[in-house]
Amino acid sequence: MSRLLCVNNVSKQFEVNGRTVQALDSVSFDVEKGECLAIVGESGSGKSTIANIILGIYGASSGNLMFNGTELPAKRSKEYRRAIQLVQQNPLSSLNPRRSIGASLRLALDVHGIGAKSDRAKRTGELLEEVGLPADYRTRSPSSLSGGQRQRVAIARALAARQELVVLDEPTSALDVLVQARVLKLLKELKDSRGLTYVFITHDLSVVRNIADRVAVFERGKLVELGQTNAIFTNPQNLYTRRLIGAVPVVSREEAALRDRLMEQESGNA
Amino acid sequence: MTTPTLKIENLTLGFKTWSGTAKVLHGISLHIKKGERVALVGESGSGKSVTARIVLGMLQQLKSARITGSVEFEGVNLETLKPASRHALRGTRMSMIFQDPTSSLNPVYPIFTQFKEVLERAQPGITNEKARERAISALADVAINEPDRVLDSYAFQLSGGMNQRVMIAMALANNPALLLADEPGTALDVTVQAQTLKLMSALVEKHHTSVLFISHNLGVVREFADRVYVIYKGNIVEQGPTGQLFDDPKHPYTRALLSAVPRITGGGIPDLDDDPSGFTAPLATHDGYSERELLA
Repeated sequence: MSRLLCVNNVSKQFEVNGRTVQALDSVSFDVEKGECLAIVGESGSGKSTIANIILGIYGASSGNLMFNGTELPAKRSKEYRRAIQLVQQNPLSSLNPRRSIGASLRLALDVHGIGAKSDRAKRTGELLEEVGLPADYRTRSPSSLSGGQRQRVAIARALAARQELVVLDEPTSALDVLVQARVLKLLKELKDSRGLTYVFITHDLSVVRNIADRVAVFERGKLVELGQTNAIFTNPQNLYTRRLIGAVPVVSREEAALRDRLMEQESGNA
Repeated sequence: MTTPTLKIENLTLGFKTWSGTAKVLHGISLHIKKGERVALVGESGSGKSVTARIVLGMLQQLKSARITGSVEFEGVNLETLKPASRHALRGTRMSMIFQDPTSSLNPVYPIFTQFKEVLERAQPGITNEKARERAISALADVAINEPDRVLDSYAFQLSGGMNQRVMIAMALANNPALLLADEPGTALDVTVQAQTLKLMSALVEKHHTSVLFISHNLGVVREFADRVYVIYKGNIVEQGPTGQLFDDPKHPYTRALLSAVPRITGGGIPDLDDDPSGFTAPLATHDGYSERELLA
């Protein structure tokens, strides 16, 4: 596998009411092509800050990012904005309510000049079918769709740009559990069939366990643990990681047993 | 047999719209005994929050709401009470905790002013000194170390977890018989959520408060509730003791819900049966846990 994104020693400070807040403290990690890297942490851990820096919404205070071997500039060119796409938490606020679904998708194609103009209308229909929606949903408005369907549209819009990296910011946490399972399934299928690369930002560890290849755990702006998903969940090295997993509310006896085992180790180490 | 704290029988709710009545609840029955922690679980739109609002007597005031069936609180049918007496119950005998603590506290008054307001519901004319004393001891119960600082702060100066603990303290300050908890902690981080649930659990146990716990998060329900009602599109589809219901779900909808939850032990993203026709199957009850048997 080759490296798609390298995050090197990235720090970020914010000035809040005259005080300096260290949102990220020399964070380094790589994202391989075709993998799903989960970034987990609680509020204030810096997971959204790193997402915004990857997306180029704001720059890092220090450190740099390499994308496909070249350094990402602070002010992104259109090409980079196309290559790195975002799916947000709440699709109702990320889709324009006055625009039809088809027009929202079409805009992504127009802005990035993808395909011949005459093919774009047809392409919006294909995109909808790729995310499991009927092509004639093009004419619908976001308000007439359910939450899960809207999130599918948001995913289709990210795919429309022929992106290389998708940043998923809590893509399923606003959804009901049955709908969440279907959207996760779609994300997994798209990743497997098209070799997509995801940076998956979430606080939901049970989702991470089942979709991520590797997990990066953030605590107060620091990257405290990074490893293969399986290793992180069966033998977390960091105390904070263990505590996070130990706090997940679970539904089955097997999960409760795993949690108890991890918490025992914690008290053993302490 | 003692009177249950809350007994809902055959409750239906519809909203009058321009094209007729939209039915929201299709005759649900549930009850909570003294000191019992009962969960009502369902997806969005299933009717769980409106049930809580009816118990509080808030939907009855809405002109477009059509309600039938009975809601008995400590043996008294709420329907027979005057609006003023119903109003007197809120904040004293029954209280509620909402999902987002920061937005349910008033941002323009310090915590103490709001705390005193709560105490005044039960004890009009309480002095500032007395109110402060009671507030401090209530905050100590929810493991807040610096009650004075918290009481003089505004909600936005405190963290979400702190606000949630303040809300719990306020809700339990007048020692209510019934606590309605609508998705408490959903807006919080998992570690904070686990802490607040533990606190709330210990407190309601201490005071023998009955709890109606409304949630879509099955894991949280498993950890908190004694008994569970599963609600789907305005019908109760399964009821039983928490352990049994999670280990051996009987209704197709409960099975689908449980199988859709990703597990921290892995196993991949669950394959879902796309056929929801079984979800409307009649109520499945665990042995000895039907309304009739429990209320006998």
